Amino acid sequence: MPLLLPHTAYKSYPESFLTGKRWDRLTKWLGTVSTQPTDNISVEGVEDVDSWIRACEAAGHYVSCTSGTTGKPAMLPAAKADLEFAAQEGVEAVQWGSGIRVGDDRTLISFGAIAQSPRNAATGMALVGAFADFAKLAAPGDGPSITVGSITRMIELRKTIGDGTARPEEIAEFERESAVRQEALDATLEKAVDRIIAHRGDKLLIMAMWGPLYQLAEAVRGRGYSAKDFSPENATFLGGGLKRAKVPENYREIIFETFNLSPRFTYQMYGMQETQTSMPRCNEGGRYHIPAWMVCLPLDKEGDNLLPCGPGPVVGRAAFFDLSIKGRWGGVISGDRIEVDFGPCACGSPSPSIRDDITRYADLDGDDKIACSGTVDAYVRGLT
Amino acid sequence: MNKQISIAAANSSDSPPDAAPFFIRGMLVEGADDIHRSRDLGVSFATPKLDLNALVRPRTELPPLLNVPLAEIIDFLAEAGEQLGRKSNVHVDACIEHMAKVSLQPRTAVEYMVKSAAEYLDPKSLREVVEQNFPNPEALDGWVPHTDHQGRRSFIRAYPPRLIHVLPGNAPGQGIRSIAQSALVKAVNVFKMASADPFSTVAFLRTMADIDPEHPVVKSMSAVYWPGGAEQVERVLYRPQYFDKLVAWGGGDAITNVMKYIGPGFQLISFDPKTSISMVGKEAFASDEAMAEAATLNAADVAMANQEACVCSRFTFIEATPEQADRYCQILAQQIRIDRMGEGAPRPLEMDLREQIETLRLLDDDFAVFGELDGRGIAIRSDEPVDFHPLRKTSNVVCVPSLEAAFKHVNVATQTVGVYPFERMTDLRDYLASCGAQRVVRLGEAGPSAIGNPHDAMYPLHRFVHWMANEDGCEDPR
Repeated sequence: MPLLLPHTAYKSYPESFLTGKRWDRLTKWLGTVSTQPTDNISVEGVEDVDSWIRACEAAGHYVSCTSGTTGKPAMLPAAKADLEFAAQEGVEAVQWGSGIRVGDDRTLISFGAIAQSPRNAATGMALVGAFADFAKLAAPGDGPSITVGSITRMIELRKTIGDGTARPEEIAEFERESAVRQEALDATLEKAVDRIIAHRGDKLLIMAMWGPLYQLAEAVRGRGYSAKDFSPENATFLGGGLKRAKVPENYREIIFETFNLSPRFTYQMYGMQETQTSMPRCNEGGRYHIPAWMVCLPLDKEGDNLLPCGPGPVVGRAAFFDLSIKGRWGGVISGDRIEVDFGPCACGSPSPSIRDDITRYADLDGDDKIACSGTVDAYVRGLT
Repeated sequence: MNKQISIAAANSSDSPPDAAPFFIRGMLVEGADDIHRSRDLGVSFATPKLDLNALVRPRTELPPLLNVPLAEIIDFLAEAGEQLGRKSNVHVDACIEHMAKVSLQPRTAVEYMVKSAAEYLDPKSLREVVEQNFPNPEALDGWVPHTDHQGRRSFIRAYPPRLIHVLPGNAPGQGIRSIAQSALVKAVNVFKMASADPFSTVAFLRTMADIDPEHPVVKSMSAVYWPGGAEQVERVLYRPQYFDKLVAWGGGDAITNVMKYIGPGFQLISFDPKTSISMVGKEAFASDEAMAEAATLNAADVAMANQEACVCSRFTFIEATPEQADRYCQILAQQIRIDRMGEGAPRPLEMDLREQIETLRLLDDDFAVFGELDGRGIAIRSDEPVDFHPLRKTSNVVCVPSLEAAFKHVNVATQTVGVYPFERMTDLRDYLASCGAQRVVRLGEAGPSAIGNPHDAMYPLHRFVHWMANEDGCEDPR
């Protein structure tokens, strides 16, 4: 019985629909990955992808785009109920996986570029509402945000550079914009450092990915502050892996020692954009726990066959069926290699759990590929 | 677009990794010190420990082939060619067995490529390669005198270079071609083999060593493996003091990594990663016979070598209405799907590719898909090129109002352009060259290539050598 979609299904639309502004076509494609018919979406007056997303939203289709840098962004449709569920579930998972509690009134520190999407907005709002001290929120506009419109412009430029139609001045203009963006990004690091130092006496909740968080720790240490200056009740919310960030081997220790963090107030989770359920990490067993409404189906590397699951751990390609999703199909095959165990964990929880050594197959396969066939992508410099 | 999930036993193979010995200047080096994994199919192979010192000879030592006449080198290569072409050659047979496990191509294709590579060693062909690459091949054997119009005398020599070759993993025959070309220019060589083929180059060299282990050709060749990009090897080895030129096939990180070592005295000769295309004029729709002819020729260019090579057509630009193109695609897909290599059941298509094509099938206003997603072949009609790289016998047929309108899709990555009808080549070639393409052929003839022709817009042998001038003053000093 057909059950799972590969995660790439959500970027299977032809790029020309996006770059050629063929919104009716893109809407039709959205219908192939949505559980709701998309013919109620009116594309009249839609001029760019950001306004197309607004048009979808007006018709009850909440489309979240992933923030690939130059690749095609994935587009994940969701129903309103999905956003509500994700928001509530996100808060519960934090409390399951750490000592962070609703009403902690923490000073929120967030750092790193975040993709603007209905889902990130919904879960972000919920987390702020649950754990943050409203009086001490950062001024809006402090963090850089990535819109799908800006990603699309990058894709277009990459294409025109590849086929040789980009004029030198266009590339020069892009380089100037990139430099400005980089400066803005550097400035947000400075702002975040200032903010964290100013609030060092508060109970903090630091939300970032490992890479940016390491940057932040280094900068704070550079200014002469370390664990002794920070509260032992500081908490952190860590999402995602390293995403190829270049950090020293002991980056975790450096981060923990800088901000006086402890395992008790550290929340780590495994999740993916294509599903909506968080899999929080337990402290005792150090494993990611799969909630009852999330069915884990470990597949072979190719993603074609379900692996036999007896007692003991199974290593394979992660696939999940998220029963909580309404707006799109809940079954998805990921790009990750996981080790899942359906037996109970050392922490006492009987739920299936995933070992903390998740890797992307793409990273495992390495780069030792050499062949005489290839595409013009190899000839485009400076847009990675 | 949904997938079939079935329960299957985990595929565990406990067989020991295949041995991939090295060859260092005539000596076979065996050992299982390091276990590597092939890039594409994840098959393990074992190599001896890499001895970096063994790969480099001091520059004060003259190249072994320097004073061996070209004619003698060609004789030796020709004899090796005969040995390789024999029905049964112990080294080559073993190599085909090993390669069938690590290669993306079916066994018959591997066998064909390895065996047919021996044809490259035909003495007539080798001589022609040299004559096409050098206006005066004498410069390979000695110092050729030349006096300029002002009376200044010189002696010019195409001096043997020190080359390090980064071989591709998708073309098993390239090892033998590279060995032959290097021998023709009398180079001192290190061949870095690919993880998708750590076997064939050593098998060829062993065949040569069986003829005469002391022959200067054999003494000039080393073939080893290390994972592409391994800094502990490349930072040490990629230096002008050791090598003059790095000859790199293909693209990917293997080449990106190499770039940082290129500098004064250490040049890159790169055979870049390429895409090949077809152009079919409206003449193909003059009759059913013409259409069948064009589609059949087109299929030959798509399906050869399982569409793994750079010469394989991936996009066809066609002067046709969508309805005409659909009729064309039907025949094209049929022809592509014929199993000419005795592959039997092909590997299933990769999940991503399957998903992309399935989606296009759903978007039937703009696309039409012919054939099945079973790895045997597929043709996709569209009005813009698809944004994935067509692989595994996939042809994207793009409707254009005129072939000239397709020039915008020809770029610096375009290698071969197959044209139908053939007489339209002359009208197209200036523009194709200007856009960056490198070879125009009759549709259906992307595979065979004329002996000694330029490759990737250069005469490679001419670029390999260390052009040396000995100036000897004026004939008649004033």
